Amino acid sequence: MPIAPSFAPAVLKRPWLTKLLMPVAQWYVNAAGYRQMGLRADDLICEENEQVLKALSRLSSKESYDRVYRLRRATQLSLQQKILPKNEWTRPEEDIPYLSPILEQIYAEVAEKDCLNTMTVAKEH
Amino acid sequence: MICRPALTRGSQLALRSQGAAKLAQRGFASAAATAASYESADINSVKVASRDDGGPTTRLAIVAKAGTRYEPLPGLSVGLEEYAFKNTVKRSALRINREVELLGGQLASYHTRESLVLQASFLRQDLPYFTELLAEVIAGTKYTTHEFHEEVESIIHAKQAQVDAAAVALDAAHAAAFHTGLGAPLYPTPNTPISSYLNEHSVADFADAAYSKATIAVVADGASQAGLSKWIEPFFKDVPATPASALSALSSKYYGGEHRIAKTGSNSVVVAFPGASLGANQPETAVLVGLLGGQPTIKWSPGFSLLANATVPGATAYATNYAYSDAGLLAIQISGSAGAVRKGAEASVKALKSIAEGGVSQENLVKAIARAKFNLLSGGDGNSTGLVQAGSNLIHGIAPLKVAEAVKALEGVNAEKLKAAAKTLLEGKASVAAVGDLHVLPFAEELGLKPSAVVYSRLAHPHCAYSSDPRPTHFPMSVTKREAREIAERSSWGFGGWACASRDAKLAGGASRLREPFLARNGARIPAERQRNQRRRKRRAGKSRTDRKLTQASLATRCSYNRYLAVAARVVRRSLKEEHRLVAERRGQQELRFAKWTGGKQGEVKNLAEANAEAAVESAATGGTA
Repeated sequence: MPIAPSFAPAVLKRPWLTKLLMPVAQWYVNAAGYRQMGLRADDLICEENEQVLKALSRLSSKESYDRVYRLRRATQLSLQQKILPKNEWTRPEEDIPYLSPILEQIYAEVAEKDCLNTMTVAKEH
Repeated sequence: MICRPALTRGSQLALRSQGAAKLAQRGFASAAATAASYESADINSVKVASRDDGGPTTRLAIVAKAGTRYEPLPGLSVGLEEYAFKNTVKRSALRINREVELLGGQLASYHTRESLVLQASFLRQDLPYFTELLAEVIAGTKYTTHEFHEEVESIIHAKQAQVDAAAVALDAAHAAAFHTGLGAPLYPTPNTPISSYLNEHSVADFADAAYSKATIAVVADGASQAGLSKWIEPFFKDVPATPASALSALSSKYYGGEHRIAKTGSNSVVVAFPGASLGANQPETAVLVGLLGGQPTIKWSPGFSLLANATVPGATAYATNYAYSDAGLLAIQISGSAGAVRKGAEASVKALKSIAEGGVSQENLVKAIARAKFNLLSGGDGNSTGLVQAGSNLIHGIAPLKVAEAVKALEGVNAEKLKAAAKTLLEGKASVAAVGDLHVLPFAEELGLKPSAVVYSRLAHPHCAYSSDPRPTHFPMSVTKREAREIAERSSWGFGGWACASRDAKLAGGASRLREPFLARNGARIPAERQRNQRRRKRRAGKSRTDRKLTQASLATRCSYNRYLAVAARVVRRSLKEEHRLVAERRGQQELRFAKWTGGKQGEVKNLAEANAEAAVESAATGGTA
């Protein structure tokens, strides 16, 4: 279950469409500017909700520490109206989803719980 | 359909009419034959024990060789137990929970010292679902990190906090009796450092070693053989045939000893002796347990059992034989308020001694045998003990109990055999654990039990001041290494090897080696001691027969060696320069007291230093060698 509605899976299924849209996507990611602040895409997920908080609690201590460091650095940069020097920008291969897989798992748990809470039993025996 | 209560009733009636002989002939009523004992089978190399009484419910359990005895690191059995029925590769823990609720089933996981049990109780027709579930749990549990932190860990902490004095005492008695293996605690206490060993990775590794076709047994109570063979084969396909790594399987050895643990709140004393193992032919132990008893079996009456009659109000005492695959522990557990526990422990040992002295009436013996028979026959009946035992027998390769023969053996127990068995127990090394208020709870020696040779040997050094006393250790047998070291440090008085860390003992030892030339060289004033030493050396050189006798006699005199050390040390101290002497004199002060025991009675308690000084003065006055 994706964490937000997205066309990405449908696009990735079709190679020709992927090929067509990839340059646009890369332009957009750069234009968004979070990489220039040393952040990853998953750092931008809004954490003021129960599921995300739970997902954050499931991060390993190293990941959690790094996340806090990136956020504090970005806050500082934002205050100073600066961006990082170019060699410290987040590289595309570093921009990996570290939180969304956990979040997807939690969304799946919640959905399963909802299903089980509202099911109708069909007795077979 | 024959319902279970009817069968149970039948077996009770058979017992009551003293029909053991008949029982032996027909091996249980013919209708009950299928229900009475578990039949083992091998289904697709999975060991299965089953019995079917045709009742409407079924209990299905997986008994794995993964009890605390086999855990390579502390706390892993507990961790594996708590991970049971958590997320698997096929479904989530929540789904398992809800599905089982819908089917009206009950799931449980628990462990003994030898086995880890995953158990499901359910309606008879749901056998396929639960067979699949249990197989999935052992082959497909994911052991996720977040479940460990969010669910497993907190439950273990909560359960640790509930471990009471009785459980700690039983664990300590096992530890004293078996050290490792069976001596591992059944449940870690809050003080046990398990957090460095217990994590999801170690539990997953332990699961790989514990859950395989070779190390598990499936036990079914109330399921047909046909149903089992139909469903076990497909569902247990994914269970590996052999364990990923072999768990330690050292055979148990009985050591014996004493443990004392301070604890607030509750008090417990366990007095344990080597007991009967699973499948061992020791009817005396069973009768002894029946005779000691403890828990009343009839309402509003303490019953005939010795422990129930011996204990004071405020404490409960009962005897149990903990049977394991290759060892057993006959334990008397007393718990309650500290004072009552002390009295109860004294009374319990007295009761055991009365058996060893043959003070058991014929009537009580008959009652005890009857109770032992009931315990034996009801053991596998309707409760989970029988289920676990059947599984444990299978995984350890122990032949199942032959009921008729065991009953016959119980009947053959007479007063003489019982007396001999109790005597053997009392003469061997006991395992004693006291947990609670240690100021009140007794030491094993105070209870009149044999000191353990292991601990005793540390104290019974030839130079020990009390070596010639009728009761060889003034300190109770169980003085631990730490306590003994403290005593030695406090008193500046060496016990032997490890206690020589005391500085004064070292000093004295050095002086004794240097002896005369050193003292003479320093021009020290040496009163009678020196003359005495000189005389002694001269005599030794003479090697006359009477002289040797005298020397032996003087050695055998209490404290002679220690007095000698004290004298030598004093001489050395006096020969030092002023500034060093003041420091050294202070080191020589000692607070150790001793008492001589004669005929079982304690004599006057004296200060060792003063006694030494007195004796020195006396010997100087008489010019003797003592």
